[in-house]
Amino acid sequence: MSSPSLSSSLLSSTFRFEIESITPRLGNLTVYRKSLKKLIQVQTPGLITCTSRGVIPHLSSDHHLNPPIKWIHVPFESFLEHSPPFPTLHPGPYPLHSSLGFRPEQHILSMSLRDPADDRDMPPNGNQFVSALCLRGVRKASPDQWRDYVSSVQPDLVLALSDIPFSSASLSQKRLTKSIERSASWLANILRPLPAPATGPDANLNILVHMAGGIIPAARQAFSQSLLDPLFDKEAEAIKPLTNLDEGVVGYSFDLAPLHKSLSPNLTLPTTSKSGFIPFLDLFSTPPAPSSTAQIISLIRTSLTPLPTTKPRIVHSAGSPHEVLALIRDVGIDLFDAHWAQRAADVGVALDFVFPAPVGLPDPELPRQVGHNLYDKRYSHDFSSFADFHPPPAYTPVPYTRAYVHHLLCTHEMSAHTLLALHNLAVLDMFFVSVRRVLLEEPESFSQHVAHFEQTYDEKLGVLAEARKLWTEVSLARGKGRLAREREKQNQDAQNINGYEYKK
Amino acid sequence: MPREPFVSLFGRGNGQPGQTHPLPGQTPTSRNGTNRVLYTTPHTHTHIHRSSGVKFISPPLLPPNLAAVAYTTVIAVPQLSCRVVLQYGVRGSRLCHTTRARVSRMKLAHGVTLLPTFMPVATQAAIKGLTPQQVEGLGITLILNNTYHLNLRPGIKVLREVGGAHQLQGWNHNLLTDSGGFQLVSLSKFTKITEEGALFASPFTGEPTMLTPEESISIQHAIGADIIMQLDDVVSSLTVGPRVGEAMRRSVRWLDRCIDFHDKSGRNKAQNLFAIVQGGLDSSLRDECLDEMIKRRKKVAGYAIGGLSGGEEKGIISQCAEKLPADKPRYSMGIGFAEDLLVCVALGVDMADCVFPTRTARFGVALTFKGPLNLKLGKHAKDLNPIDPTCPCPTCSNGVSRAILHHTATHETAAAHAITLHNLTFQARVMGQARDAIMKGTFPTYLRGFFENYFGDAGYPEWCVNALQSVGVDLLEGNPEAKIVKGDGARWEHSRAE
Ligand SMILES: [Zn+2]
Repeated sequence: MSSPSLSSSLLSSTFRFEIESITPRLGNLTVYRKSLKKLIQVQTPGLITCTSRGVIPHLSSDHHLNPPIKWIHVPFESFLEHSPPFPTLHPGPYPLHSSLGFRPEQHILSMSLRDPADDRDMPPNGNQFVSALCLRGVRKASPDQWRDYVSSVQPDLVLALSDIPFSSASLSQKRLTKSIERSASWLANILRPLPAPATGPDANLNILVHMAGGIIPAARQAFSQSLLDPLFDKEAEAIKPLTNLDEGVVGYSFDLAPLHKSLSPNLTLPTTSKSGFIPFLDLFSTPPAPSSTAQIISLIRTSLTPLPTTKPRIVHSAGSPHEVLALIRDVGIDLFDAHWAQRAADVGVALDFVFPAPVGLPDPELPRQVGHNLYDKRYSHDFSSFADFHPPPAYTPVPYTRAYVHHLLCTHEMSAHTLLALHNLAVLDMFFVSVRRVLLEEPESFSQHVAHFEQTYDEKLGVLAEARKLWTEVSLARGKGRLAREREKQNQDAQNINGYEYKK
Repeated sequence: MPREPFVSLFGRGNGQPGQTHPLPGQTPTSRNGTNRVLYTTPHTHTHIHRSSGVKFISPPLLPPNLAAVAYTTVIAVPQLSCRVVLQYGVRGSRLCHTTRARVSRMKLAHGVTLLPTFMPVATQAAIKGLTPQQVEGLGITLILNNTYHLNLRPGIKVLREVGGAHQLQGWNHNLLTDSGGFQLVSLSKFTKITEEGALFASPFTGEPTMLTPEESISIQHAIGADIIMQLDDVVSSLTVGPRVGEAMRRSVRWLDRCIDFHDKSGRNKAQNLFAIVQGGLDSSLRDECLDEMIKRRKKVAGYAIGGLSGGEEKGIISQCAEKLPADKPRYSMGIGFAEDLLVCVALGVDMADCVFPTRTARFGVALTFKGPLNLKLGKHAKDLNPIDPTCPCPTCSNGVSRAILHHTATHETAAAHAITLHNLTFQARVMGQARDAIMKGTFPTYLRGFFENYFGDAGYPEWCVNALQSVGVDLLEGNPEAKIVKGDGARWEHSRAE
């Protein structure tokens, strides 16, 4: 079962992906940092930790050493609030790591312009720009700017710009064609060799490509084909020595959020609020329906069919462990971001599921929920640990009980989300450990285990829906009064403190 | 010296929280119902001559420069048939030569806390946004929970079921609770004080509810903190007239009821009751209160100085700290600005608490030895340096930049957590450096250096200059041109709960 491999180098790091078995895939992804003599290894299938505004929600830098946090994805758009974006100003090595407080010896950073989970309607992209969103509004980023940003912040992996139309309106054939052409041309742009840096042997980037084509199979096929077609003339000259785009790409990425949005037209969310864009928390309120996952699998297969099987396949914004398992089983996806699990911590849910699912549960207990809505009163006297089915690993905050976090949620203490974010990442990480173990030890029964998992755990993720509803109500009821009072007190502190920075 | 059983307080044990020191021949839990309050030092063996009550510190174990002051009197308190859980003391070598500052060890059921110390406030059994493990990781050994809040939620039933607030929050170090009275007065509009207790409308049902001294202690027993506070009759520091004296005298009467209830409960084996000195800004009322409460010194483990609303009334703090018994810890409630802390330490205060460092973190303000930084200001947007490159906190030592904190402050909870970790470390450094300086005999120099750095061109607050002058430290020494800012200092509403 060995091992076509691929490597490329970014300054002093070497990126490598080896597939240990083909169907379903088991792999090993490494980044070797020559200057630090440090090998960072991510086994696949595995997880990617999401960031918001450059930080992992609810966690602090001392938590970044926890084992699940190895590959971190950074959407760049929030940094466009200032020009130039501050991470580009870092003078030292590993600028993106250093400016955000991540560790080059511990973390692999991938970067995209946009947040892949954000599927809100956006103003259309142009031939020479992508519309990105930051707090100060919409910003246009051109392919050349993107090259500049990427070459100055030096992420380990970067997603080429992609023209993903975000609009509720259904897409015309013409618009789709344009989207594919733009995405290919923007990929070609970033594949142009970078000017040689002042120091360092090599300035190649590890480029990931988002697989374009929306929900139209023919369009997806066309996009994949365009990666393989040889280029001619000026285009060929620009990417020399590459002969086609795919040669310059280290992996394939699939954003599920826009696909789910297109496949579930009934899922109409308010697109704007008084302040412009709707709050992120309201998004993503419904887990993917199995039918929608099945269509997505077929679309991904269409994209992957003509392409080499040796490169990692990344999925952003999978909505449930059910979907994750199906994508591993059917299209060999290697890496998944933890978005849904991290968001579960926002609304007070402690995940509690294992793979393979437990056997012999009595019928009335089925389907089980994938977690506990700890905001629910029923946990107020529950002094057991968060999860029923596995002891937490050593680095998780072991002694904390459901009753404690219930109390913290009721009193709006932020520590609740910190504990839950740590816990949920740990549960998801252990889920992937078990998936890999089954793939290694009994690959032939993987599908059976997936089927049993689907029967055991509620695919609608009812517990998340319930928690989200409750959370929204509580936030509204809590209102702005309390926050206003707190600000008032802070202002009094500020007037009285003797530091000159306050006086300005 | 006869070979009496001796108590060795240091250099033994593995320093685990909650561990009592193994003792040759005897435990400090006192065989014959004697409550001992010991003067101790981390570098020496302390021998206590039991019949004379004289403590002798083995000279060979003392650093040479400390040997000369190795004698003090130990206070042996015969009363209360209970084990001593609070061992507290100072001896000459650890008193500042100039000011009234002192360094000591406070040993409670969950370990030793070095004093003077700043106590972070975990109102709802969590320091805002942090895990108890993180707080422990900062080296913090004593935090505060608010009784009023924990009584409402999760409530006494849950606390009893789980075995107290330590268990609830997974905190294995020392814990202090207030009486709930202060919050009652500041958070409830309809509180009426009677001799029986504080009558208030339940925030959930609106029903009239009475918080008596006994009830307050009973709730604090369920919470199970290592240090608990008497219920006092709180009046605003702005109040004048007969109400101030009435409240002070009632606080003395309520102290007696708290002591009574606490002693009869049997909980005094594990929990230490502090009295709260009241009397407003009237020094004769303060004197009267001090006299009454000092009479009860054998029945209380320490003293808080209450009824002050901020940094201004340093005369009262000075008066109280000077008069309070040297062998009991002195706790100044609601003090948290660095300059306030240091002035209070110089006046003889051992403990202080405030929500300021954690609350201000949520608004993007990082505390540094060069004064507070408002990270929301545009000038930090492109600053890739950490808050303080010399700071050992996780945020600074991991190189988290001011720019990313500017980018995330007030948008991401993670920014608040990062700055909270830093601010609590700053508070601990201010106090830790003060302890080191007191130990080395350089506290006045430390004070001058700190104020010069911290206030820089902004000017020294006049009240700090005056307060430190009163204990023999001239902040302006060698710097006669220094600017002085008028006004009597920080005033802010110190809710002491978040
Ligand atoms: Zn720091």
